[in-house]
Amino acid sequence: MIAAVGTTSQVELLVLGTSMLLFAIGVMGLVARRNPMGVLMSVELMLNAANLLLVLAARVRGLLDAQAGALLVLVLGAAEAVVGLALALAFFRHKAEADVADPGEVHE
Amino acid sequence: MEGRLLPILLACLCAVLSAVGIVLVRRMVRCTLLLLVHSLSIAMLYLLLDADFVAMGQITVYSGAIVVLFLFVVLLLPSGGEERPLERGRLLLVAMVGAAVLIPFAIAFAGVQTDPLAVAPTDAGFGVKKLAHVLFGPLLVPFEVTAVLLLVAIVGGVALWQREDRGGAA
Repeated sequence: MIAAVGTTSQVELLVLGTSMLLFAIGVMGLVARRNPMGVLMSVELMLNAANLLLVLAARVRGLLDAQAGALLVLVLGAAEAVVGLALALAFFRHKAEADVADPGEVHE
Repeated sequence: MEGRLLPILLACLCAVLSAVGIVLVRRMVRCTLLLLVHSLSIAMLYLLLDADFVAMGQITVYSGAIVVLFLFVVLLLPSGGEERPLERGRLLLVAMVGAAVLIPFAIAFAGVQTDPLAVAPTDAGFGVKKLAHVLFGPLLVPFEVTAVLLLVAIVGGVALWQREDRGGAA
């Protein structure tokens, strides 16, 4: 049973483990998915995992720089999603099946 | 930090389960909704880790903008972005890549030293005002560059779309 109190280090370890697990899930999704949307979502998972670690570091060390960095990563994620989704749409709009292994006219 | 273990545990559980769902679920609309759950639970974690402003940013940018963007694209993709099931060889590759990432992580995690006597930083130190001092002080240049980055992303998105339109007309 988990004690209701929870020491600081327990909480830190829990969040650290979660962040690592999320990153690993993201990497596996990146390999497993054939759909451009799925690939992009996996990348978002990895970004979120790294961001979580940044915020945890800010909490543990008491430094705000890491939180500011997390904000910048958030903006980066948004820009990445915009370009990635535009690419996915541009390349797969007229195809019967969306599959990153067969992107058709990328070389054009 | 004491007393926050249970909410943090719940948020972590939510985040991990929804992440697994995102990777496994085949229908993209459901995936997108799971992404919403995931980003909200991550925002909850930020809130519990005293990162209020980052949590609000997460909700606005991820749960708001990005999830809606994903939903739009799912609706525009052929057959809602359905995909073929995994073959056996690819499954093996996924397992290998997963192990290659998880094993070093597990080793690192086992080696983490926590100091039970360490004093947790005071909660008084965090707040939007102090965050602004960092963002507009030492991190001013990266912060301003993100504006250019977003502009480039918008122009890039529009350019990709227009190029496709011309190709379709010809």
